[in-house]
Amino acid sequence: MAISLLNPKAEVARAAQALAVNITAAKGISDVMKSNLGPKGTMKMLVSGAGDIKITKDGNVLLHEMQIQHPTASLIARASTAQDDMTGDGTTSTVLVIGELLKQADIYIAEGLHPRILTEGFDKARVKALEVLEKIKIPVEINKEILTDVCKTSLRTKLHQNLADLLTDVCVDAVLAIRQPDKPVDLHMIELMEMQHKTETDTQLVKGLVLDHGSRHPDMPKSLKNCYILTCNVSMEYEKSEVNSGFFYKTAEEREKLVSAEREFIEQRVKKVVELKKSLCNGTDKTFVVINQKGIDPMSLDMLAKEGIIALRRAKRRNMERLALACGGIAMNSFDDLQESHLGRAGHVYEHVLGENKYTFVEDCKVPQSVTILMKGPNKHTLLQIKDAVRDGLRAINNTIEDKAVIPGGGAFEVTANKELLAYKDEIKGKARLGVAAYAEALLVIPKTLAVNSGFDAQDTIVKLQEEARLNPEPIGLDLTSGEPINPKDSGIYDNYVVKKQIMNSCSIIASNLLLVDEIMRAGMSSLKG
Amino acid sequence: MSTKEILTLQFGHYSNFVGTHWWNLQDLSFQYNSSIPSEINHDVLYREGRTNKGEVTFTPRLLLVDLKGSLGSLSEECDLYEPKIDPSKAQINWHNNQVQVQQVGPSHSKNQFQQDLNDPNKCVLEQSYDFEKTTKVWSDFLYSRFHPRTIETIKEYQYCNENTPFDAFPLGSALWKTSQFIDDFSDKIRSYIEECDHFQGFHFLTDCTNAFSGLSSSCLEFIRDEYDRKSVLVLPVIPSYFSDNLISNDNEKSQSLINDSVRVINLALGFNQFNTNSSLFVPLSVGCKGWRQPGPKRVFKNLEYDNKMAYHSSAILAAALDTFTLKHRLKSSAFTLSDLGADLTRSGRKAVAASINMPFPMKENSDLLECLDNYQEPLYHSITPNCDIGSRRLMQHITIRGIKEGQLKKPLDKAQKQRELPAYRANSIQEMMALYLAYTTDATANNVTVVQEALNVKSPFPQIFAKNIGKNGFISDHNRLSETRIDSIPLLAGLHSGSEIGEMLESLHTEARKIKINRFHQFAGGDIDRDDYEECLDNIFTLRENYEDSYLI
Ligand SMILES: Nc1ncnc2c1ncn2[C@@H]1O[C@H](COP(=O)(O)OP(=O)(O)O)[C@@H](O)[C@H]1O
Ligand SMILES: [Mg+2]
Repeated sequence: MAISLLNPKAEVARAAQALAVNITAAKGISDVMKSNLGPKGTMKMLVSGAGDIKITKDGNVLLHEMQIQHPTASLIARASTAQDDMTGDGTTSTVLVIGELLKQADIYIAEGLHPRILTEGFDKARVKALEVLEKIKIPVEINKEILTDVCKTSLRTKLHQNLADLLTDVCVDAVLAIRQPDKPVDLHMIELMEMQHKTETDTQLVKGLVLDHGSRHPDMPKSLKNCYILTCNVSMEYEKSEVNSGFFYKTAEEREKLVSAEREFIEQRVKKVVELKKSLCNGTDKTFVVINQKGIDPMSLDMLAKEGIIALRRAKRRNMERLALACGGIAMNSFDDLQESHLGRAGHVYEHVLGENKYTFVEDCKVPQSVTILMKGPNKHTLLQIKDAVRDGLRAINNTIEDKAVIPGGGAFEVTANKELLAYKDEIKGKARLGVAAYAEALLVIPKTLAVNSGFDAQDTIVKLQEEARLNPEPIGLDLTSGEPINPKDSGIYDNYVVKKQIMNSCSIIASNLLLVDEIMRAGMSSLKG
Repeated sequence: MSTKEILTLQFGHYSNFVGTHWWNLQDLSFQYNSSIPSEINHDVLYREGRTNKGEVTFTPRLLLVDLKGSLGSLSEECDLYEPKIDPSKAQINWHNNQVQVQQVGPSHSKNQFQQDLNDPNKCVLEQSYDFEKTTKVWSDFLYSRFHPRTIETIKEYQYCNENTPFDAFPLGSALWKTSQFIDDFSDKIRSYIEECDHFQGFHFLTDCTNAFSGLSSSCLEFIRDEYDRKSVLVLPVIPSYFSDNLISNDNEKSQSLINDSVRVINLALGFNQFNTNSSLFVPLSVGCKGWRQPGPKRVFKNLEYDNKMAYHSSAILAAALDTFTLKHRLKSSAFTLSDLGADLTRSGRKAVAASINMPFPMKENSDLLECLDNYQEPLYHSITPNCDIGSRRLMQHITIRGIKEGQLKKPLDKAQKQRELPAYRANSIQEMMALYLAYTTDATANNVTVVQEALNVKSPFPQIFAKNIGKNGFISDHNRLSETRIDSIPLLAGLHSGSEIGEMLESLHTEARKIKINRFHQFAGGDIDRDDYEECLDNIFTLRENYEDSYLI
């Protein structure tokens, strides 16, 4: 991997220069990202070459949108977006810590220290930092309160507080609705549906399923109550199998015969559905809805419409599973032995039309184990921002459930780790301890940046935090409103354990790779000769 | 007859060049207030929609993929459904409105043509724009307007970034697997198909010398799985020029050699997949050879074009595409993509060649009979690389457009000698062409489609026609005035299946076989080992053998 960060054209550049280049690139990218960190960071409006806008505060989105030319910078960007893929958070922190590790390293290297020794120190420090992380993690019982705290901490770093709090409730309720005891949560069972409509605060949780399509027949009902739901993956469209060759002639009759045979086959299928509907619903107040993953052609739609059935075609594959969880019943692959027990139930199915888009709501389900977050917003960029936030919120909740623990936020971990690493440094013989010191110092970039972004002086803040940390056995973080030390626990400021852990691991590895560019190059050269 | 809809997918920058011309020339042929209805059923490739304000739209049923930074001044969402938001007026809800505006990538302002398009007082069709100079990316000459669902940009790779090239097949297959891509893209496909009442299949335009080969292959596999009974016509396109082939020193030479090999591998891997999962595939290029390098350009007697210019070469391919796909887009015919597959891919001959005769060389004030009677050259010229189409043992579909029935032959009272020709008895262009083909081919199944509508080549189509072509596309005795723009041309295009295609496959196989795949980390690192490559080559060889039997007819 490391070799790929070399720009082929730079092969001639001397190793030392390559190192300097790496350090500069890392600084450059972290300078761009710095102002985003934390709930008081700046929001960015990205304007594309064509004038499209995207509004975000999220490091991950920024890195995806930016056009990064420098290979080192793009390596760091990839490491950070990988961080996001794995855990859903921590991108900005990753970039900042890598940048700061290199900056610290630069000072020592300028004084003559060999990068190899520094990276040895980094590795020792990483192991120690992970120990500290284990020590300060707070084991939790999973309940609404803790999930709300974690999710809120995360979302308030991305969206305005009002909206963040609203979305937090939506996300927590969604996960709690689908969570089954002793089973991992499958976030796919929460459908995320966008509707460009109204405002972002109209975003809501639907305890059922919302589909982004509706019936394609003018006579089908727009709303039904007390519905049976048939979920299926069975083609209800006539597909010709005869060939209409340009070379060989077939008479109109021959053609007609083949067509009607095929057509008949599909009709039989549709009739099976109609029969079941008749036997279950006619004479009662019950109604019937078909949701098919395959196609339904106009003739079949017509047959179904005549029976007052709502039929939807080309449903998402994943909605087969979701419907079964939301409404009960089984997704059918054939109608051969169709029975009532295969069907799901929903209290209300209705359609909503917006311009050329239709939506179908399947609601009032008994115990829905699949739900929908219906995201609203007046324009594309707002919707996108909400979608990113909801995704991250859900990940934060799910991480908490899997970790069964949280980490106090607001720089508490970094301050604690800094303290313990400085103590640990003295136990280490030789120059590797300088690597540990550099690492300890680098971690402080998080509380420092949080302070600066909130309008406080970095050094003053660090001094205050370190003093408090010396006196107080509890982890100490920064209150961004007052600039004073607090116990983050008291304000419900929590980060995910797995996110921090991943940050520690990936930062050390990437920073070390970038520092060892020197050796890698030499190794590369000699292997070329040999 | 109910419309049998087709969804078009375009993968990669050169495909999008071809696609842009194709949509342009279709859009330009729409006659909104003509008393004569079009012979072409535009609903096959286009969809009708409605904006939130209730305005009716008619846009290509199209999904296209390109790299980040490749759109130029075109907005990703397109601004048909919603006006673009002025960045300075966007409302942002954030603490004391601290918002930092950041420009991503260079800013692209709209060129003159694009500005004029938005200006209701200007008519771009009559104007000349210096597209040869101003065109950098395909959106620079895009006339059509797209649905907001149409464009998919790849965030992970940047257009023209040497550090993160999207140049090898496995990069494309890996991208397809990322949930970010596949979820979004497959959902867009589904949304398009859900709208269709009688969906018949796909047109797949794809780059095949870079990683888009892998991306479209994966997408094709997905489609086989998800829409098993639908047809897919794959159109792999190969540029006729790569700038890295222009070398000035040894370093560049070796890099260029490497690139040529990488391109051959991508082609081989792609063709193998297209063969497995398409209904038929038709490789297209105006380069004679296609691989390892595009080779010299195909020479067409009445065209003067620059093969180094994607804007030119892609226009020729688009003209061919528009014409040879007419047969399954006509209002009068029930012919479908699956019929096309059945006709041309007997014995597993899934690779098919294409040809063009552009413009169809008929003299002004002359007639088809006279034209054919004096005809000296081959009727069609291959635009499939490494493949020269002959006249023996073929199965072929020929489409001729832009010649009116009134231009068939001389009327009786003026016919004189023409009356003595047996072909004078032919009473339609269809009959006349069939007769001509029957005379000039041997053991060949010919099918002729005739369409009256000419090919519309108004701006932004390039003016690549010889000086003696007149305003209506017919050959004139004198050169046209330099300011005269050609409006439309008659055109002939064909699809052919015959042993020549076996030779094309053999040439690809030979080139691909010479390459040691293990030396190319882009592939070995991306899960394509020697065995996979060998298997792919064997498959191509087997496909080639399908073209050997000569007792087809
Ligand atoms: N209310 C808060 N007070 C103090 N620090 C906070 C608060 N909310 C979040 N943070 C801190 O902000 C950092 C996360 O910022 P964020 O912008 O989400 O960047 P990242 O991309 O690294 O997740 C964490 O260190 C977290 O502890
Ligand atoms: Mg965060």
